[in-house]
Amino acid sequence: MTEDDDRGFKRDLLASLPNLRAFAVSLTGRHDKADDLVQDTIMKAWANQTSFTAGTNMRAWLFTILRNEFYSQMRKRGREVQDTDGVFSERFSVHPEQYGRLDLQDFRKALDTLPDDQREAIILVGAAGFAYEEAATICGCAVGTIKSRVSRARTRLQELLGVSGEGDFGPDAGHAAITARAFGS
Amino acid sequence: MSDDNRKKQDMTLSQHDMKPGSVPPNASISRKLREFYDAVQEEGIPDRFLDLLEKLENAERNAQSQSQSVKVK
Repeated sequence: MTEDDDRGFKRDLLASLPNLRAFAVSLTGRHDKADDLVQDTIMKAWANQTSFTAGTNMRAWLFTILRNEFYSQMRKRGREVQDTDGVFSERFSVHPEQYGRLDLQDFRKALDTLPDDQREAIILVGAAGFAYEEAATICGCAVGTIKSRVSRARTRLQELLGVSGEGDFGPDAGHAAITARAFGS
Repeated sequence: MSDDNRKKQDMTLSQHDMKPGSVPPNASISRKLREFYDAVQEEGIPDRFLDLLEKLENAERNAQSQSQSVKVK
C-alpha cells in the first residue's frame, strides 16, 4: 500500500465516522458504550486495512465491522438493561392530540424497544442512507428479510408513538398538509 | 446520507403513502428517525478518535521505518 493510499484510508475513515457513530448510538442506546464500540471498530479497521479494497464502499465495510463487533461483544457479555432513565414503561405512550409535541426522547425510547434486527434494519435504510441491498450485505441476510424487518419496525413505531391512523394527525387535515409540505415530503 | 438519497426516499414515501390532506404515517416516522440520527451525526468527531487515529498512524510509520532500517543492515 502506498503512502497516498494510507492517507486516503484515513481520510475516508474520518469522513465516515459521524455516520458510523450515529449507528453505534442507535445500536447500543448509549453514547459511552457507542464510543467504546466505535473505538474498537477503528482499531479493527486499521489492523485490517489491507483487506479493504480501495474504491469500494468504505462506509459499508466499516458498518459491517462495527455491527459484527457489537454482536460478538453482546454474546460475550449478555445484553445490559438499557433503560437508563428508569421511567420507561408507562410513560411514553403519546396521545394523539400531543402528536405535534412528540419529542426525540420519546422517539428514542420507542426505538430502543424494537428487537435488534428490526432496529438496525430501519436505521440502516431509513437514516444511515444505505440501499436495501447494502443493508442486506451489512447484516448478512437476504434483501427480502431486510425489507420485512424495516416494514415491521415502521409498523411497531407507529403503534408505539400513536401515529398509526389518519385521524391521529394534527389539529386538522389542512394544517397537516401544510406541515407535510414544510418538511418537504 | 446525501440530499439526493433523501429526496429519493421522500418521493418513494409520498408515492406509496400520501393521501390528500394527511401526513403519511411512514413519513413522520422516517422524519423522526433522521432527526434522531442527524442529531448524533452533528456532534462531529470526538477528540479521542482523532487522537487514536494519529497514534495508529505514528505506530505504523515507526514500524515501517524500523523494518526499512533492518533491511539496510
